[in-house]
Amino acid sequence: MKMQIGALVAGAVVVTSMATGGAAAEDRLQTILDRGYIIVGTGSTNPPWHFKDDQGNLVGYDVDMGHILAKAIFDDPEKVEYVTQSSDSRIPNVLTDKVDVTCQFMTVTGGRAQQVNFTIPYYREGVGVLMMKDGDYKSYDDLVAAGDGITVSVLQNVYAEDMVHQALPDAKVDQYDSVDLMYQALNSGRADAAATDMSSAKWFVAQNPDRYVEGGYGWNPQTYSCAVKKGDPDFLHFVDIAFREAMTGVDFPAYSASFEKWFGEKPPAPQVGFPGELR
Amino acid sequence: MERFLEVLDSASGPLWHGFLLTVGISGAAVVLGTILGLVIGLMLTYGGRIAALPFRGFVDIVRGTPVLVLILASYYMPAGLGISPGPIEAGVLALTIFCASHIGETLRGALNAIPAGQTDAARAIGLTFPQMLAYVLVPQALRQIAPNFVNTAVEIVKASSLLSAIGVGELLLTTQEVIGRTFMTMEFYALVGALYLVINLTISAGGGWVERRFQNQ
Repeated sequence: MKMQIGALVAGAVVVTSMATGGAAAEDRLQTILDRGYIIVGTGSTNPPWHFKDDQGNLVGYDVDMGHILAKAIFDDPEKVEYVTQSSDSRIPNVLTDKVDVTCQFMTVTGGRAQQVNFTIPYYREGVGVLMMKDGDYKSYDDLVAAGDGITVSVLQNVYAEDMVHQALPDAKVDQYDSVDLMYQALNSGRADAAATDMSSAKWFVAQNPDRYVEGGYGWNPQTYSCAVKKGDPDFLHFVDIAFREAMTGVDFPAYSASFEKWFGEKPPAPQVGFPGELR
Repeated sequence: MERFLEVLDSASGPLWHGFLLTVGISGAAVVLGTILGLVIGLMLTYGGRIAALPFRGFVDIVRGTPVLVLILASYYMPAGLGISPGPIEAGVLALTIFCASHIGETLRGALNAIPAGQTDAARAIGLTFPQMLAYVLVPQALRQIAPNFVNTAVEIVKASSLLSAIGVGELLLTTQEVIGRTFMTMEFYALVGALYLVINLTISAGGGWVERRFQNQ
């Protein structure tokens, strides 16, 4: 279904871009300033990235990246409007100007970089393992030691088996077609561990500290960046600068608080003196 | 179960909002689609070959297109014309178009089913064309299309769940947001299924009541 929607959206966008012809030179930053708020595209169903909290507010690390941009542009982190979009809509909504920027746990790939401009990275995701707190195995090392005696549940994917075997070469892999079934296999003891996105695993453990533990090892790294439309290098540069200064400069305290809130650890603090990112 | 009720209590506000949005969007699409559909039905039947042609094309294209494609097209294609509808506007537009094509085709069928003798008789007693429509043809056609109309309204409510694909915070997306936070998948999909059922059974019951009233006349 996801693939179908993706194909349909791609088709719709091709037709649209044919209708619009070439992209005219534009000044996105000025458009945003005139409008009075920035429009950020993100999702609403994936903690800790972008989700609705108990009060129905959109929160998460992706959402905070939007606040960082609003702060940089208007000196007011609240001058941002979020457009809720499905994962399939991340690129189409940028291309059709539905959003100024998409921040939605988007993996940087060469193919995508041909369609949109990626900003500097703001997270590196990996795969981690989740286990029951009262189970036989409590860390990645336990799982490795168990060799072929363990079963790992994973979300169904063409490369899921290889992905698990990269880190646990002898484990038996059971694939499930939804995240909750994957967790259910772990809960019921059909699997000894669940392999899932490191950030999701950590979040899940943080929400259920009495039930689960996270293995402490991440593999299969992939880079997450926000995306903007091609054709406006000035705006891309601006977003990059805003993110860089949040991660290494004047806006670090707010960024650090966000990072710690969603990932449970402090990001490395920038050091005074030589700019560390150039080291 | 206890946890479910707890979560349900905390999520009831957003879910209620999603429920109202589903009902509101569906209602707007059915009302607008019916008005447009009546025009289409009349044009298809009495417009003459040339004038009916664009309406024929509209109905055939829309009815031959999946609703999801109509939704995505309504959301993305206007960008080519320099306008950018929001998700809700695009959603109402897509469902209205979908509804209008179905109502239009149903009305055409119903009007065609009325024996030609009635038209002749209406002319013979000196009714003008609008009078003939108002007093003779449309009342009979409406009675014919009532069951189909209810069916279309139910289809629209179900199709409105597809609007979650373009980020409309209707009932399904709101439910998915709750599931995203709580991982209570089965419980909340069961709940949302029941809520759609409540909406559609209400429509069916209302439709049945109207049908019986028509029959008794």
